[in-house]
Amino acid sequence: MPILNPSYSTDNFYDEMMASGGQIRPHYGRLHERLGTLSEDDFNKRRAAVDLAFLRRGVTFTVYNDSEGTERIFPFDLIPRIIPAKEWAQLEAGLIQRITALNLFLHDIYHEQKILKDKVLPAAQILTAKHFRREFMNFSVPKNIYIHICGTDLIRNHAGNYLVLEDNLRCPSGVSYMLENRAAMRRAFPNVFQNYGVQPVEGYADQLLKDLRYIAPKAGSKPNVVLLTPGVYNSAYFEHTFLARQMGIPIVEGRDLIVKSSKVYMRTTAGLVQVDVIYRRIDDDFLDPYVFRSDSVLGVPGLVSAYRAGNVSLANAIGTGVADDKVIYAFVPKMIKYYLDQEPIISNVPTYLASDPKDRKFILDNMEKLVVKSANEAGGYGMLIGPAASKSEVADFKAKVAENPRNFIAQDPIMLSRSPTWCDGKLEGRHIDLRPYILYGEKITVTPGGLTRVALRKGSLVVNSSQGGGSKDTWVLRGES
Amino acid sequence: MLLSLQHKTTFVYKGEAKDSVNDLRLCPASDTLQQCRSFKLTITPTASPLEYLDFNGNIVHSFSIIEPHPSLTIQAESEVETVPNSERKPIYVASFDELKNSPEAYQFAEFLTPSSYITFDDVLKSEAEKLIRNDRRDVWSEAKRVGAHIFKTFKYSPGSTGVKTSALESLRIRSGVCQDFAHVMIGLCRLHEIPARYVSGYFFNTLRREGEIEASHAWVEVYIPNHGWTGFDPTHDREADERYIKVATGKDYADIIPVSGTYRGGITKKLTVDVNVREISRTSIPA
Amino acid sequence: MPQNEKQPVSRPQANVMLSRVAHSLYWMSRYIERAENTARLLEVNQQFLLDFEGFDDTALKEHWGSILASADEDKLFKTIHDVADSVNVTDFMSLDPRNPNSILSCIFSARENARMIRDQISIEMWETINELYLFLKGKDRKEIWSRGPYEFFEDIKRHSHLFQGLTESTFSRTEGWEFIQFGKFIERADKTTRILDVKYHILLPDASDVGGALDTAQWQSVLRSASALEAYHRFYVHEILPWKAAEFLIFSETFPRSLYYCVTRVDELLCRILAETGPRRRTSAARSSKRLLSDLQSLAIDDVLKKGLHEFLIDIQKSLDHISNDVVETTMFYKAETSIEEQQMQQQQQ
Repeated sequence: MPILNPSYSTDNFYDEMMASGGQIRPHYGRLHERLGTLSEDDFNKRRAAVDLAFLRRGVTFTVYNDSEGTERIFPFDLIPRIIPAKEWAQLEAGLIQRITALNLFLHDIYHEQKILKDKVLPAAQILTAKHFRREFMNFSVPKNIYIHICGTDLIRNHAGNYLVLEDNLRCPSGVSYMLENRAAMRRAFPNVFQNYGVQPVEGYADQLLKDLRYIAPKAGSKPNVVLLTPGVYNSAYFEHTFLARQMGIPIVEGRDLIVKSSKVYMRTTAGLVQVDVIYRRIDDDFLDPYVFRSDSVLGVPGLVSAYRAGNVSLANAIGTGVADDKVIYAFVPKMIKYYLDQEPIISNVPTYLASDPKDRKFILDNMEKLVVKSANEAGGYGMLIGPAASKSEVADFKAKVAENPRNFIAQDPIMLSRSPTWCDGKLEGRHIDLRPYILYGEKITVTPGGLTRVALRKGSLVVNSSQGGGSKDTWVLRGES
Repeated sequence: MLLSLQHKTTFVYKGEAKDSVNDLRLCPASDTLQQCRSFKLTITPTASPLEYLDFNGNIVHSFSIIEPHPSLTIQAESEVETVPNSERKPIYVASFDELKNSPEAYQFAEFLTPSSYITFDDVLKSEAEKLIRNDRRDVWSEAKRVGAHIFKTFKYSPGSTGVKTSALESLRIRSGVCQDFAHVMIGLCRLHEIPARYVSGYFFNTLRREGEIEASHAWVEVYIPNHGWTGFDPTHDREADERYIKVATGKDYADIIPVSGTYRGGITKKLTVDVNVREISRTSIPA
Repeated sequence: MPQNEKQPVSRPQANVMLSRVAHSLYWMSRYIERAENTARLLEVNQQFLLDFEGFDDTALKEHWGSILASADEDKLFKTIHDVADSVNVTDFMSLDPRNPNSILSCIFSARENARMIRDQISIEMWETINELYLFLKGKDRKEIWSRGPYEFFEDIKRHSHLFQGLTESTFSRTEGWEFIQFGKFIERADKTTRILDVKYHILLPDASDVGGALDTAQWQSVLRSASALEAYHRFYVHEILPWKAAEFLIFSETFPRSLYYCVTRVDELLCRILAETGPRRRTSAARSSKRLLSDLQSLAIDDVLKKGLHEFLIDIQKSLDHISNDVVETTMFYKAETSIEEQQMQQQQQ
């Protein structure tokens, strides 16, 4: 029985494959044709092969509900998400514009703070932000790059327009899945893949290594680059080892490093070996128990003093978390205007700040129609999806917002786009988002595609891995179809 | 006034310490009211400190001692000249509206919010509420009033609190030392919308008796538009004048810790602090 | 028109070995070897007692006591059990978590070390050890013994062999490989000395029993404990003469569990690990290892018996300890780092 069924419906959402009149969008043409020739049996065989490969290769994430930790395969859907070249070019330009502005913003607020002096952004919000690292004011970062690796989440609304959902500037993950998914797809659909002309993503690790070397403290002979991981207990540990292996660099934990005379060394069987660049997958708070005064055993005491002395470079720089805040997100369009004198190529989701009196009134008056989120401050009050919430839940949230307005933002709910996904034996539309990966080195590189996350449960908007999400490969074409 | 300072800190460890990484905030500041003429740091075992300015503009000397050592001594010696009282500008009388609309308002957002030692809990809030007046006039008078209130209602009692005592804890027992008095005054000022910051430094006690404790001192600075940060000492209920030598400022004690650091090894058996503040008589300075 | 995908450049593996990783590889290997040897020892002795039914209580006690003594576990055993009988000793050495050298403890420790370096070992290696761990974790003692001890010991041995085989076929011959092998052979050498030493602790009822049925059976079980019985027979034809059995297990150049064989490998690996290239050894461990090896090369069984087999074996254990501690100190100086203390802060008091 063929897997394409006539009952496939877009249900009035923007569907990646099918336009509202039922026509197949040109860039999905080849895929649609191919799917038409596959039987369910065929399809299932390919799925099973891919799943087994993932299992064997250990492409997992770990869910820790006991000290053991269960390894789960991040569910993968075989139907790729396809983006034609011109559409991607637009996204690429928008992402480059955005990371350029964010980087300039970070440099500015850790130096002259012009954007605050010119009152473009509210100083109070920035200076009291949880992740604003005041210890690093006036600190010069190598090559003035703060954000070396960024994962910006994009969604598409019912009109088919891309919007930025959020920027992830601290330790964005998912790259390993992107790379593994691509490898899986080439095995599962070799011919379709070849015929389409999909832009490659395999160069990611090479580019990342190049960018990491670029920020080494001393120019010249090959700098020693390492990846610093919190260790086996971290749910993204697989990705850390994967990337380290792809780049051919050592993967270390805090206890493998020692700082002597403000230089960082690895403890090896051949003695101490100096480290020049650290790609750190540990949050600022846990990096150096001395500076951030945590009880963390994950970090390296004295690492910050070595960083400050310019003897070791860190990617991403310390302090990028301030731009990760949902409140700051709302100001990114203003940053693009202020630093680049341009209009944003990709818009934000319309956002209201509870700390602004006008917005606050709007939020409280319309809460049942809005999505309300905690701004990532201490606490974590969660999220309210107004249209789906009960009256008492809404009332609760109104109280929380009224009490602590700085901690909340609200957004219009967006009807996320959908993509055909294999669900229990047939193809149905499921909501998706997109996380492209942006690397900032000598130049800014945006990996074509990225991780498309899909909410596997029917009607669900949650793409998170631990809550029923999965992923798809993203094909950015060299042409239009 | 020309003053000489000595601040000696000695740690004796149980066994030995190693991999010691430290930050010192001991060097007196230079600003419109004082100039640091000289500063010398002697560290035993020997270490060469790296100097930098932290986010509050304080001078920090950081150093590390990797090899095992049974004790650590840090001796800071400096000479500071403070602007005589007679030459100081009278404090500007600024209204609260002027404060709100001041062009530098963006700078002191963090001095109006809680910090690690100073949380805005109910106890502090109700104390602030008791103090608030509808007819408050200008920023400085209000600040002085808050300071005086603490001076009058708190007991100066060494030993009743420790270095980690929070403003809340001190307020509960209404006693403490200058560190605590400063914390509580800052908390109350902030709740009264007066930007307030913590100052660490020294005070030249002209009435010092033989054998009386000399230690580092803490007081408060509040921001007055058209004037700047202005110091008030709640422990003595007076303005910070030429006898006061400022070393560092910050949101609270955590930002100015004179000697802070970490190491690996035995616990600290003994911590000794010796502070010495003397006036250098002008006639004894070579021409 | 199909377009050619550029193949990703394959990168040479980073050629630095972290001390912590070496440490985990070494201990993972040692613990598995230890578990296997213990399993074999216990299995053989269980069998031995079945064969020799005519043992009275004292003799049994002596027999099991000797197993404990040779393994240096008698002191701990006494704090937990009163009587050294078949059930108690077997349980103590197999499944008692209070005994850090029980088979259970060894497998748990091996697995923990393997987990710490998951990305260094192949997925097959990991799955093998994890499976064994999950099996042991999931069952209580009664269940395991209910299947019969033989089944249990076979399981352990099988997993160990499988693990070693997988390591052999899936672990790249890098520095990590050397640490794994070093751990294995050091442990094996040590265990061989203890297997031989069992005989020392068993007193024969009467001097005239030397060479008698009991004596021979005991030596036979010693050989079996080292899986050496068949190899011995091929080498020495039929009779099991006590001193020949000892000679075989100490000096055989070809049998892979003999002391000579193990120490030869230890020496080889150690020189690679410590980068000892010249004829004169620089490091203390390498000097000890060379001395030990030359003893095994130049001594004969008569020399050993003259000195006393027990004393000889204890000396070897000491040397092995010294060698392994030294290598650990030098390359894996992974002393648990002391925790960080905060410099005491001074209150501003004036």
